[in-house]
Amino acid sequence: MQEQSLQVLILVSNIKNQQTMKKLIKYFLPALLSVIVLPSCHKDYLHPVPETSITDASAFSTAGRIQAQLLSLYGALKSGQYFGGRAVIYGDIRGEDFINETQNLVTGSDVWFENPTNSATAVVNLWSQAYYTINSCNIFLDGMAAGGANVVGTALASNYIAEAKLIRALSYYTLLQYYARPYADGNGAKPGLPLRLTSIKGTGFSDLARSSVAEVYTQVLKDLNDAEAGLPLTYGSAYTNTTRAHKNTAIALKTRVYLSMQNYASVITEANKIVSSSAPFVGSTGVKDTMAANIVNVFKTPYTSSESIFSMPMTTTGGDNPGTQNQLGFYYSKTTGNGEFSLNPAGIIANTGWTATDARRSFISTSSGKPFLNSKYSAPSPYTDYVPVIRYTEVLLNLAEALARTNAGVDARALAILNAVRQRSDPTTVITATTQQQLIDAILLERRIEFLGEGLRNNDLMRLLQTIPAKGIAPSKASSDAGYIWPISNQELNLNRLMTDN
Amino acid sequence: MAGVSVQLKNTTIGTVTKTDGTFSLKVPANGRVLVFSSVDMNTEEVTIGSEPMNVSLKQADRSLENVVVVGYGTQRRREVTGNVSTVKGQVVADKPVQSFEQALAGRAAGVQVTMPNGVLNSPPVFRIRGVNSISLSSYPLVIVDGVPTYTGDYSGTNAAANALASINPDDIESIDIAKDAAATAIYGSRAANGVVFITTKKGRPGKARVNYDGWVGWSKAYKLPDVLNASEYLSFKTSALNNYNQTATSLGLSPTAVTYNSINGPDGKPVDTRWFDYIYREGFSQSHNVNISGGNDASTYYFSTGYTDQQGIIRKNNFKRMNALFNGDSRINNFLTVGLKLSYSDEQNTAATSSGSLNGEGFNTAGLGRLAIVLPPIISPYKNDGSYNLNGSAIGSSNITGISSLSYFNPVPALDLNRSNSENNHIQGNAYIQLKPVKWITLKSLYGIDNLIVDNDLFWNPVSGDGYSYGGYSSAWMTRYKRWIWTNTAQFDYTFASRHNVSLLAGNEQQRNTTLGYGINRQTLSDPAYNVIQAGWTTNNATGMAYGENYLLSTFGRLNYNFSQKYYLQGNVRQDEYSALGIKRGVFWGVSAGWEIAKENFWTNAGLNNVFSSFKLRGSYGKVGNVSGIGDYTPYSTFGSGLYGGTATLAFSQVGNDKLQWETSKKTDAGLAFGLFKDRLTIDAAYYYNNIDGLILNVAQAPSTGLPSSPPQNVGTMYNKGFEFALNALVVNTKDFTWTTNFNIGINKNMVTSLAPGLPYILTSTSGLETVNRTQTGYSVGYLWVIRTGGVDPTTGKRIFINSVGTPVYYSYLAKSPTTYSYSTAPDGTVQYKGPNNVTTISQPADAVMYANTVPKGVGGWNNTLKYRSFTLDASFTYAYGFYMYYGTNAGLHDQRWWNNASDVLTDAWSGKGDVGKKYARPVYNDNVSNGSAMPMDINVFKGDYFKLNSLTLSYEVPRTILSKAKINNLRVYVSGKNLAVITKYPGPDPEVSSNGNSTTGQGVDRNTGASARTITAGINLSF
Repeated sequence: MQEQSLQVLILVSNIKNQQTMKKLIKYFLPALLSVIVLPSCHKDYLHPVPETSITDASAFSTAGRIQAQLLSLYGALKSGQYFGGRAVIYGDIRGEDFINETQNLVTGSDVWFENPTNSATAVVNLWSQAYYTINSCNIFLDGMAAGGANVVGTALASNYIAEAKLIRALSYYTLLQYYARPYADGNGAKPGLPLRLTSIKGTGFSDLARSSVAEVYTQVLKDLNDAEAGLPLTYGSAYTNTTRAHKNTAIALKTRVYLSMQNYASVITEANKIVSSSAPFVGSTGVKDTMAANIVNVFKTPYTSSESIFSMPMTTTGGDNPGTQNQLGFYYSKTTGNGEFSLNPAGIIANTGWTATDARRSFISTSSGKPFLNSKYSAPSPYTDYVPVIRYTEVLLNLAEALARTNAGVDARALAILNAVRQRSDPTTVITATTQQQLIDAILLERRIEFLGEGLRNNDLMRLLQTIPAKGIAPSKASSDAGYIWPISNQELNLNRLMTDN
Repeated sequence: MAGVSVQLKNTTIGTVTKTDGTFSLKVPANGRVLVFSSVDMNTEEVTIGSEPMNVSLKQADRSLENVVVVGYGTQRRREVTGNVSTVKGQVVADKPVQSFEQALAGRAAGVQVTMPNGVLNSPPVFRIRGVNSISLSSYPLVIVDGVPTYTGDYSGTNAAANALASINPDDIESIDIAKDAAATAIYGSRAANGVVFITTKKGRPGKARVNYDGWVGWSKAYKLPDVLNASEYLSFKTSALNNYNQTATSLGLSPTAVTYNSINGPDGKPVDTRWFDYIYREGFSQSHNVNISGGNDASTYYFSTGYTDQQGIIRKNNFKRMNALFNGDSRINNFLTVGLKLSYSDEQNTAATSSGSLNGEGFNTAGLGRLAIVLPPIISPYKNDGSYNLNGSAIGSSNITGISSLSYFNPVPALDLNRSNSENNHIQGNAYIQLKPVKWITLKSLYGIDNLIVDNDLFWNPVSGDGYSYGGYSSAWMTRYKRWIWTNTAQFDYTFASRHNVSLLAGNEQQRNTTLGYGINRQTLSDPAYNVIQAGWTTNNATGMAYGENYLLSTFGRLNYNFSQKYYLQGNVRQDEYSALGIKRGVFWGVSAGWEIAKENFWTNAGLNNVFSSFKLRGSYGKVGNVSGIGDYTPYSTFGSGLYGGTATLAFSQVGNDKLQWETSKKTDAGLAFGLFKDRLTIDAAYYYNNIDGLILNVAQAPSTGLPSSPPQNVGTMYNKGFEFALNALVVNTKDFTWTTNFNIGINKNMVTSLAPGLPYILTSTSGLETVNRTQTGYSVGYLWVIRTGGVDPTTGKRIFINSVGTPVYYSYLAKSPTTYSYSTAPDGTVQYKGPNNVTTISQPADAVMYANTVPKGVGGWNNTLKYRSFTLDASFTYAYGFYMYYGTNAGLHDQRWWNNASDVLTDAWSGKGDVGKKYARPVYNDNVSNGSAMPMDINVFKGDYFKLNSLTLSYEVPRTILSKAKINNLRVYVSGKNLAVITKYPGPDPEVSSNGNSTTGQGVDRNTGASARTITAGINLSF
């Protein structure tokens, strides 16, 4: 064999045998090319289009998408972790009228015991969901400002923008009642919340310090005032008026907010917009809310009574109801739910002035030898009771209390409102008061009876800096005690370097 | 033997033996040596003597001539310069497993295969050279006959469905595990975790061979914890009540209304329930496989069918598989070959309800693993009239007063009435056409499919448990995974000047996946007798909706060069474009070199070839990637649809990243392999260093930003480095007795070197409810993060916590400020604890420390085969050392709510003043802090090191003399045991388990995992 020499390994070589060289070229290159070029490729497969969601770029491109986005803000509010259930439940169980039955940390036994930690389910999830709602509102507002308003027209745009602002305001207000010292403690000077007012869609925005309580309240009221200006008087249907914000919703929420600030004069100003000067107490503009004739019907289908200003609607469709271990019926009822909390026999139900024939007593019955709020939220699994956010009776009692606190002696209108509320459910009882303090106490008592299971007790205790009374084995908490307000979510503390714990 | 070639050495004079093995050859007078040779046999040289010649030939050890699958082709083992371990198919055959990986433990250096729980068909934790990712999967890429297949658990229910169980282990010819960049870079962006090549059996020319392999087996739960019986429970738990009342009274708090009472069963005797008896069982399993193969010079075929029906140790957990495989290859003429592989498998994975052991199930109220140990022995699953003992959705507890509901479920109705099943129908196949226009060019086009249809069926009964509040609940959903792949390759093999061997491969490949799923969830039965999804229900919801697609377009090439089979060089390169990335295109490559130093002249001159029978050095370096588990639409920010009171909503739901890339792994590998005593002892050693960067992390943002998801970013870095060592030896080799042994070890160090700015650590929770794993720079992944304790105070019996700065803090469940405090720096509780930042409680975020690593320092196996005449004993041991486990179940076993406790509370809990050195605090009713339930503590962290007798098989080969009468070629009978014994200090059932399944950052956690199984089987292999 002749010695061959090779200079480069592949392709180019000094092989003397021309035959081999020809074969090489004749077969090699086409073979190589055939492998690389011949198979048809589907370059379009490299850029798949999502078929089950809408990309960021086209989220504001049609009127339908914008309306759907607006409704998603209500959807965020409606989460079982938030106003679909737990925000209401936490408001009740922090108070003294419920007893924990199941010692289950997942269903709020620590909230009830007044000792949730930074990593507690309640502390972490309520914070996350409220801020998710706030950012969703910010994204919506920024998107509308950036061109979405043109797509739907001025009228609808200002309506939607007002709704978004109301939802944002409600979220900031609710967060303040758990994670910050009450306004009365130092006139709002204590640390409040990180005030997020612009949309966040990416990374790098985690660090934001807490604004003061007063600054947050200022923003809440600004948003509610803007909302009142932009919201329609009515949507024309009872269902939509209950499940979406209208002008009176903003006004009603303002009475709650001003009451928490102990700004009684403003409570009166706002409430007078929607409460007549004498009985029967009814609004005069927009959706003319008034107390329903029978309290029991407020909590039954169709849940859109004349006093249901704002409620969260639920259906049996998956994802459209509060979700496992979040539902009011699951927590309060032993007959249709798990009875996570029974009623404190030493709490409001022991009040002798609250007669046995009062219609509100029919919500309470005995199971396994204990009193439970069995029938207020009576829909069976998947628990489709609408969750009340605010109803007209609260505006009435807010007004009554503001009047009672402002005017010396026994304010007549306040007493009239109080009796109207009592006699709606118990026509036989007449409430009397001889001193200003007696009237105030009677109003506060009525609130506990009327709003049992509606999550307002926490607001009332906080705004007056009252000691949370002991109940069962849970200790009392004075306003100066650690644990009077919740600690900050540990996720926030870990990821927001400017955040401080309570 | 017939057909043996007989040749006079160094001449052309020769003949071939006749059928009876005799031969006759005329040789010249000076003829000295005859050379006898035959295919697959060692050549023998015999000097011609005066006696009649009797020559016997031995089976050749072809290990160096064996081929190794290297991706788009094969290579002879001696020419491989990458790091590839090979495991023969017979290692995984005939084992009581559901998928082949369960039998791979301890078989290849650096390869860790551990079972996370005792549920049938759970995908094992499969790691090659440590954990290689944080957010993506660390599971290797598995290629079956050239087609990448699905890995992981494909069940949506509480039954596990490992997709690899569709491959009948009996059909596997060999498993080649490629570990370094040189061997894996041909798979580019998917190769960072290593590549496992599975080759199924093919036919061989010759008479048709028929095989039957069958076995039967029995499994039982192994190492269940010791818990209190009814009388021990009553006395111990009542003393906890008394302790509570004593303290409460002294503090002026109300005593507890809870009492525990004995209750009589239907026989009049006090109820003493051993819950293990209701939940675990002895499972019976069987397996039958028949295969037939054969062919001629042109065409070969292999056809097999198999049936297996296995019962797990948890009641109602079963695995049934029926499968068939056909492999056919046909050389049509000199240049055209075609082939077809078709495999179909139907697996039914069944379970009644949650075992509490799969990933995400650890805290399920229905979890059987926990119910078995937590439920009080004074409660029976049945009332005295024989009906289920129920209280609403929970178990009935009428003899425990003061608690309206235990909230935990009665396992018996769930086991009787519930279903949680997953049926997989899996078709895997490919067809190829191969052209050889000239001898040195091979063109091949292969089209393959891998289609998996998963059918999930879930039913919760209306009587008790999860389904109670719904009045019955059922879901049925189907998910269809389809994949096609089209690969075209051209290979050029040429030898220049008889010394330069060159092989060049060029190829192109496309792979497309589509996922489609839908189903229905129904609630509230119209009639309690119904239990199927098609019956009458009140509420209907959509569920199981899935839609996805991705596409991978690649071009690749490989060049192999060797000079006289002494110096080897190899280079691989691959360009991948993948649709699920933001930056879609990447180039990956690997180079390696090898040197058969034993062939050098200086080596033989130095006489080293008298010591070493072979010696090879090799090294490699390359860059590969990982994209396993990235969502198909990750680059996009999207809004998703929902409902508000029945009307459509559109909510911001995913934060995308349009710059997302693959994770990059730069791998260095250097190794040597040598043989001593004529290769009777071979050693393979390697050093490796994997430098991983661009780790994809979902960088969580502060919740006040309100982002719906944490966007993924390529930010983290990590490395794995270590040694592998494998020794194979024929220790004893006498006429009647041989002993071969294989010992392998992989020593690995894993270190996270950076995470993301603003992300100092990553917490991984177990089922969302307890966090013990913390991944942080400077530590290995998933380090245990727990609170330190300082024992129990001898005077008061209080649990002593150690806070972040080392101060002891005494804890009491009951306290009344301002007299006493729950957390106090004084043993009597009078001084309130005030820690750093004025905190007054011990908490995990404030006081936990990086406590112990969960990644083993070393893993390996020791496999032995001892043969005495016709008997063979195979003993395989697996081991792992240098790691810790969090035995979270132990917290539950010492919880002072109504929960049952481990027997050691009777001896190890503080019982009176002056009791020193006790492990557990004074039992006070309702205290779930002192034992580690409320916050994870160091007393529940144990060393996990173990040495396990993984499998032991005694087999007997019936002598040919008996068999030939029955025309049977081979009959082997055997008895075998799996998971027989373990030496370990770990007190839990099994130190291998993982409550977080295959999670990369959640290893080392045992939270309410059920027991593992010990199995004995007996079987036969029969071939005709």
